[in-house]
Amino acid sequence: MNVVVCNNLTKQYGRSKVIHSMSFQLAENKITGLIGRNGAGKTTLLKIIAGYLHHSSGDVQVFSENPFNNLKVSANTIFIDNEMSFSQGLTLKELLETAGSFYQNWDHDLALRLFDYFSLDPKQFHGNLSKGMQSTFNSIIGLAARCPLTIMDEPTSGMDSGTRKDFYRALLKEYIAHPRTIILSSHLLDEVEDLLEDVLLIKSGEKCLHLSIDSLRDYAIGVRGKTEKVQEWIDRIETIHLQDIGANLSYAVVKNDRSIKELEDARQLGLEITSVSAEDICSYLTSKTKGGIDHVFNRG
Amino acid sequence: MYLTEVKSWDIVKKQYRYKLKSYFGVFTSLVFIQLLAIFFSFNGTGMSGGASNSISYEVNYYSGDIILVFMMIWAFITAIIITTKAYRYDDFSFITNRSISHFSNILFLLSVSIFAGISVYLSTHLFQVLVFYLKDNFSIIKDTLSVTTWLTGISASTLYIFLFASAGYFIGVLIQLHRGFAFIIPTFLFGGLIMDGLGGNPTLFMNVSKFFGAETSFFLFAVKVLVVSIVLLLSSIGISNRMEVRK
Repeated sequence: MNVVVCNNLTKQYGRSKVIHSMSFQLAENKITGLIGRNGAGKTTLLKIIAGYLHHSSGDVQVFSENPFNNLKVSANTIFIDNEMSFSQGLTLKELLETAGSFYQNWDHDLALRLFDYFSLDPKQFHGNLSKGMQSTFNSIIGLAARCPLTIMDEPTSGMDSGTRKDFYRALLKEYIAHPRTIILSSHLLDEVEDLLEDVLLIKSGEKCLHLSIDSLRDYAIGVRGKTEKVQEWIDRIETIHLQDIGANLSYAVVKNDRSIKELEDARQLGLEITSVSAEDICSYLTSKTKGGIDHVFNRG
Repeated sequence: MYLTEVKSWDIVKKQYRYKLKSYFGVFTSLVFIQLLAIFFSFNGTGMSGGASNSISYEVNYYSGDIILVFMMIWAFITAIIITTKAYRYDDFSFITNRSISHFSNILFLLSVSIFAGISVYLSTHLFQVLVFYLKDNFSIIKDTLSVTTWLTGISASTLYIFLFASAGYFIGVLIQLHRGFAFIIPTFLFGGLIMDGLGGNPTLFMNVSKFFGAETSFFLFAVKVLVVSIVLLLSSIGISNRMEVRK
């Protein structure tokens, strides 16, 4: 069963299109990473799925219903981000109890143990916490609520590296014990790579790639060597990324669908073929120009 | 993981309970404002006097009117405050949709109105006791009320307070729809009153207060207040359907 189905989903603010005819499906009980640069439309997309925002055109279905302002979707979905607002009149402990009264699958015991582990003060108020502590608290609610669709929009922003690692481990353990559909957005694929099953890569409001993490790792190869040799080899091949790395050397990234002969040619030309990490593939695929940031500084 | 089915009414109750607990500050401000109102009432709400050759007399009226007026303003402001983003978004951290959010807000406003209505009655007594001890009066005449009259009194106070809360809620939602209403509404309200008074024969404010205040039948008064409040609240719900749930 598909939990989230989008068809030609478009979201406009005035004249600018933030989400541009996006179509994809997210299967049940999978962890999907939503990866994209700043301003790619990650948060807008997640808020549409969570039912907070109206979409402008196209179709979006969550649990086979339109999510906007929908009680069934709200009851089965939890949206965790760092703008989550909680009443200033309740202490953290009372907030946990309130959350427990709302969500039917809520595991209070787990919430309290995580609460202790991350040494949060039960008598503290949410507004007085530091940014990292707020993110930690929000994530605890997200994990303990055990909603069939758990959406986390950059849950680790502000957390220190120890807490991040602990949180991802907690997320994985929870997921294994109680499988659910999780959408995790991040701009640091490196951190979440080991957790994800699928990756949905978006670029300026459009779907760029949607594939499993293993296929993403094999998606491209890097070729390094003398500039003219690299140029010669990539002559008729579409490159994802081309970079001058100095000393008359170049580095090119191409899709991993070359024939054995072509790869043999590359070796003949003295080019070195390397694999490209998933993180790098994503950043090359989503960069606006092929030359990357270096391009800005090369005026000549 | 299986999907859970929830009933709207259950969630309304949960949101309502959450609001009673988390908007505790509303009750604290109520107590402070009543104390302030009692303080202001000490001058008496009315006075008359007279003198002849050998005697002069002065009659002071002490009533809970000022306390009631303060509570009406308090309810108006409280209602505006709970329509602001900070409060609205609190609901959406847990399960809700917009109608549930509105219904639980209305229930909350209704309960605080009842609470305020009863407390107006009680603090009027406190105030009268204070007057008895603190003012050097020679003679005190106190109205005694039958059970039915004080029940009517409490209900009428509650209804007045609820009417103002509904008006505040409506204006609050308008302001949330567009910031410009925060300037347009006061301009029209005060502008209207001034224009009305320019002719030397103001009717607008008089007519509005007469519509509610001059009603002799309690039943008709209650119907008038409730109908106006419900119209205001339903329009608020209608207007907010044009907005995004949470940005």
